[in-house]
Amino acid sequence: MEINNLAIDLEEIEKRYENPLDFFRGKKLCLFKACLEKYFPGVRFGIQDFLEELGMEVIICQNQSCCSGTFFQRNLITRAQFAAINERNINEINHQADILLVSCNGCYNSLLRGRDFLKDNTVRKKTQDILNDVKEKMGGEKYLGQYDILENPKLRIIHDLDFFYLIRDELVNTLKFGLKGIKIAVHYGCHYLNLDRDKDINTYLKDKTKLEELIRLFGGVPIDYQERESCCGWGASQIVIHPDDALKVTYKKLKSAENVNACFILMPCPTCLYTLSKPEFRERMHKIFNDEVEIPTIHLNELIAILRGCEEERCITLRRKSPRFNQIYATITQE
Amino acid sequence: MEDKAESDEDWNYQFLEELVEDVEENQNIRQCIECGKCIGECPASKISDFNIRRIIRKVLRGDKSVLKDSDIWYCFLCERCKRVCPKKGVNIPLLILNLRNESFKKGYGPRYNDLTKYVEMAEKFLTNGTVLEDPLDGSLSPERIEELNEICNFARIKYVFKASEASKAHKKKNLNKKRVKK
Ligand code: SF4
Ligand code: SF4
Ligand code: SF4
Ligand code: SF4
Repeated sequence: MEINNLAIDLEEIEKRYENPLDFFRGKKLCLFKACLEKYFPGVRFGIQDFLEELGMEVIICQNQSCCSGTFFQRNLITRAQFAAINERNINEINHQADILLVSCNGCYNSLLRGRDFLKDNTVRKKTQDILNDVKEKMGGEKYLGQYDILENPKLRIIHDLDFFYLIRDELVNTLKFGLKGIKIAVHYGCHYLNLDRDKDINTYLKDKTKLEELIRLFGGVPIDYQERESCCGWGASQIVIHPDDALKVTYKKLKSAENVNACFILMPCPTCLYTLSKPEFRERMHKIFNDEVEIPTIHLNELIAILRGCEEERCITLRRKSPRFNQIYATITQE
Repeated sequence: MEDKAESDEDWNYQFLEELVEDVEENQNIRQCIECGKCIGECPASKISDFNIRRIIRKVLRGDKSVLKDSDIWYCFLCERCKRVCPKKGVNIPLLILNLRNESFKKGYGPRYNDLTKYVEMAEKFLTNGTVLEDPLDGSLSPERIEELNEICNFARIKYVFKASEASKAHKKKNLNKKRVKK
């Protein structure tokens, strides 16, 4: 059995379509429910509103569960259990959609990783055994192959950042506001930056610059800083296991961006956003380092919502509002 | 001289094989050339004594004391090392996960108290389908929840819980014994 990689072939689309958005037209798009979108609904609405305005068919798969990456990375479930959770999600989504868009580095990693684990015969067999038990328990399947490991599903998976970059020319036409020369630092997050499951070796080793290119396109100025490539500090639960040590990484990152006078840090992952913005973490850093970090943080989907002129509450959670954030919002949305 | 030349006897791959036998992504760990590139940008090395080269050395020598080292719990699983490593087929974070698994099995892993947050998340996962209370899109239907419960029983959490109860009971017994003696 050959387990194929479900990451979308970006180069192929760029080669074949003059307007890459055409590839997506007429296809059913599903937005993966990242748990942490709960804290940052703008991450979801930012892309959903945009796609719907373009007249695309967008669904949320009600049967999808959390990717369970958190449990896997904390050694609380086995590779086979993790792969079974993942395959159940992929199967349900494949049944309803053609393309899966993912707003979170963690979920994106999980979706591809679960499939990678299935390449190993032992793990695949264990995974299928688990799914067979589920099938028996549920008294059979509701649609053909519901509990099967999919050999060659039609579904393709794309990270929101790659999607927005791919269709950037269309995207920029829908924006109401520009970034007005604001200086912005970027954080890709390690599970985007260091992930090789979706890229060929050359793309993998090349510098990643899509966020910077998008900022330029939106009229802003990307600004380099020493800790650009470092982790946010979440580190697969390090912030829970060794909080004070992990926060050193977080603090260093935020401070480094603040030191080059970036207005905010832009990122493509709600988990990074959670770590870099959580008020409790900021307060704890204040206590440990006797220094206040104020730099705001924004997810790419939220920024796009702001630039498209969406209502404030729809793009950004009120909880994150700070004087510095309000200032940025006011600057961007000034007519 | 302490650092004598390495002889073949120094290497013992049996432990490594037990660890990565069915892990395709780590078939080439033996080819680690100890170049140390992975250390330079490793966040765990910056905040602790974590040293991936030392861990690999121990593994390649069959030195199971590595399972007791607190080091292995410092890795961020950030995959930075994978990006800078000149060798293909070396996946350090996955090796670390395997080491942690072994460590768990031997009882050196986290205690029940260390897992409180995860116990909460696991409970939510098995009732809502996400790790958070009151998710953005509502909870999964009872049928779908049943599927998740069939897939994951979180046996390890239960095991750690039992171990902690047993050790509590043991401590209490000892305490009572002491009281009686008094
Ligand atoms: S990345 Fe984390 S929060 Fe997001 S779905 Fe996966 S486990 Fe849940
Ligand atoms: S930077 Fe932090 S949250 Fe983001 S992908 Fe890496 S560990 Fe996860
Ligand atoms: S995955 Fe672990 S060993 Fe590799 S760079 Fe990150 S923290 Fe260091
Ligand atoms: S970078 Fe690779 S080869 Fe070099 S020490 Fe680290 S794991 Fe070994």
